[in-house]
Amino acid sequence: MDDLTSIPQFVIRLFGVNLVFNTETIFMTWIVMAALIVFGFLATRKASFMPNPVQQVAELFVKAFYDLTKDALDDRMAKNYFPLVCGLFMFLLFSNWLGVIPKLSEPTKDLNTTLGFGIMGFFIAHYAGIKKKGIKQYLSEYFQPIFFMAPLNVIGEFAKVISISFRLYGNILGGSIIILIVSHLVYGLMLPPFLMCFFGFFVGTIQAFVFTMLTVVYISVQVK
Amino acid sequence: MAIEGVDLMKAAAFIGAGLAMGFGAIGPGVGEGYAAGKACEAIGRNPEEAGLLTRTMLVGQAVSESTGIYSLVIALLLLFVV
Amino acid sequence: MDFDVQTWVKMASYIGAGFCIGLGAIGAALGEGYTAGLANQGISENPSRSGDIIKNMLVGQAVAESAGIFALVVAILLIFIKFPMVTTLKAAALLGAGLSMGAGAIGSGIGSGYPGGGACLGISRQPLLSGRMTTNMLIGSAVCQTPAIFSLVIAMMLLFLDFGKGAVSPTWAALLGGGICMGFGAVGSGIGSGYPGGEACLGMAKQPAVSGRLTTNMLIGSAVCQTPAIFSMVVALMLLFLNFSNAPASPTWAALLGAGIATGVAAIGSGMGGGMAAGASCEGIARNPETFGQVTTTMLVGQAVAQTPSILGLLVSFILIFKAFPETVTLAAPMALLGAGICTGFGGIGPGIGNGMTAEGAVTWVARNVESTGVLMRTMLVGQAVSQSTAIYAMVISLVLIFVV
Repeated sequence: MDDLTSIPQFVIRLFGVNLVFNTETIFMTWIVMAALIVFGFLATRKASFMPNPVQQVAELFVKAFYDLTKDALDDRMAKNYFPLVCGLFMFLLFSNWLGVIPKLSEPTKDLNTTLGFGIMGFFIAHYAGIKKKGIKQYLSEYFQPIFFMAPLNVIGEFAKVISISFRLYGNILGGSIIILIVSHLVYGLMLPPFLMCFFGFFVGTIQAFVFTMLTVVYISVQVK
Repeated sequence: MAIEGVDLMKAAAFIGAGLAMGFGAIGPGVGEGYAAGKACEAIGRNPEEAGLLTRTMLVGQAVSESTGIYSLVIALLLLFVV
Repeated sequence: MDFDVQTWVKMASYIGAGFCIGLGAIGAALGEGYTAGLANQGISENPSRSGDIIKNMLVGQAVAESAGIFALVVAILLIFIKFPMVTTLKAAALLGAGLSMGAGAIGSGIGSGYPGGGACLGISRQPLLSGRMTTNMLIGSAVCQTPAIFSLVIAMMLLFLDFGKGAVSPTWAALLGGGICMGFGAVGSGIGSGYPGGEACLGMAKQPAVSGRLTTNMLIGSAVCQTPAIFSMVVALMLLFLNFSNAPASPTWAALLGAGIATGVAAIGSGMGGGMAAGASCEGIARNPETFGQVTTTMLVGQAVAQTPSILGLLVSFILIFKAFPETVTLAAPMALLGAGICTGFGGIGPGIGNGMTAEGAVTWVARNVESTGVLMRTMLVGQAVSQSTAIYAMVISLVLIFVV
């Protein structure tokens, strides 16, 4: 049970500031990145009219997420933003599935990962909003419906980052802790594989999709 | 165990923060869920307007979320300012 | 005023007995009343079948009664048994046992009423299927009783296990917290598992040809509704059996009590929400049996997302149980931990129910308009995610209370 609280860290002192690296998370993120690069390479290496299986899967992702982005944003913006959306989903999907493999853990189990993506989505959404509407109209929307609601509107925007990143983190960490505790209680017999399937594949897929959809929705709320 | 006034105040502020956010979350949660359920119904009746309906749902939810945000603000005030 | 230990144990068992049967009587009465109401409606629609309907009503009510009877048994045990091991810890255990069984009987009692009522109305509409409907009702109500049986198990453990003569604090909080956790955790799952049972019986009356599918779907749906109750049982068992006697008494008692409240109360919303989705799916399959696959998938996705509040409650409980807190003499530290438990617990109720309403809407309309399954599921996920955000704020406040303060 002790491994619940221990986080492998690597600390560098630089100019009087401690730079902390969560080694396990970074390492797992690299594995996910490597898997994605290999997948992308296999999918595009011999791209042809008659697709091979890997290309087929990749086209499925691209098609599905292009349509999704087009529904939420308009055609022109969809072309700009859908690579981000599709990449985000595939990264999160691979990350959430990684815990199913023994000895590996999900990088999304670390709040830093999910918060990073949440902050990224926040900046992208607000950049898109400012670009589309101009800074003046963008700022004026914070003073709706009355001017003194501005602080609450600002807090509401930050709360979106909190809710999107804590949702993913809570679900993945909660799932992995439940698997750990139940495995401990039943000595690893029978139940853990089913829990792995449920939390790893099912909840992992749903939460990756929810995170991606919410990023798209936040962008679309800003530009509309 | 000697309990002093400052300690008692802090204790009350902490439990108050928990109560504020805990009970404050009930209403917006149900309300936003109801809005989303009705939006699903409307999309089922009229799928062509899905984009407009989703946007309307999000605006409505944002408004009903505001009480949840108020609770959050009060809880944070109780935690860090009082 | 100094009381001896015997007095404390007696006081706790009497108060526990009062809670047990007082809370436990709520559910069964409501559920049976619902069954009787729909039986009356059924008789008025089809007076010639009143015999069948009354028979079915009585069978259904007898099943719904069982949760109340469990509570009665535990209350009688609490009053009359002479407990051999008289320690102050036992007093906390007895109070916990009463709360566990009492609150645990609420949900199952209410929930079992729905299949009973559905079957009575169904028989009046399709008299030839009365045997089949009674069977389905019995299966549905039996599934509803599972959370109450979990509560009974925990209550019996609290009653009859020997918790030793070790230090009273903080173990008393673990025992009481375990009882609260299981008791409240069973409410939502009990009520929720009833919805699909009722809708399945009504659906059989509409579409007798697909009654097999309806029973299957009912079982899948109500099994998923039970997950929050199972989470509560896991936390309750951990609170009962882990050894906390080495931990410092002062903030740990609040952490353990908070852990019980967080998972137990947060499970109410998720259980009910999962039930709403499952009920809508049974209704939808009866309306349009070809959409079985899409409806069940949408239901499962909706239920999985509706479980997030209870998973967050579980997360906070585990942190509260396993984190080592330094000893303190202040009142502020324990109150912060107790507040953290209350915050996540109650914060999870609303979002859980709200997510269930969203899933209900989506599932209902997937059955009616199967071409727009994709857009409905997408809207459902976005709507659920937004309505969950308040539960997440509650968790964030809890984490701040635990780690920062």
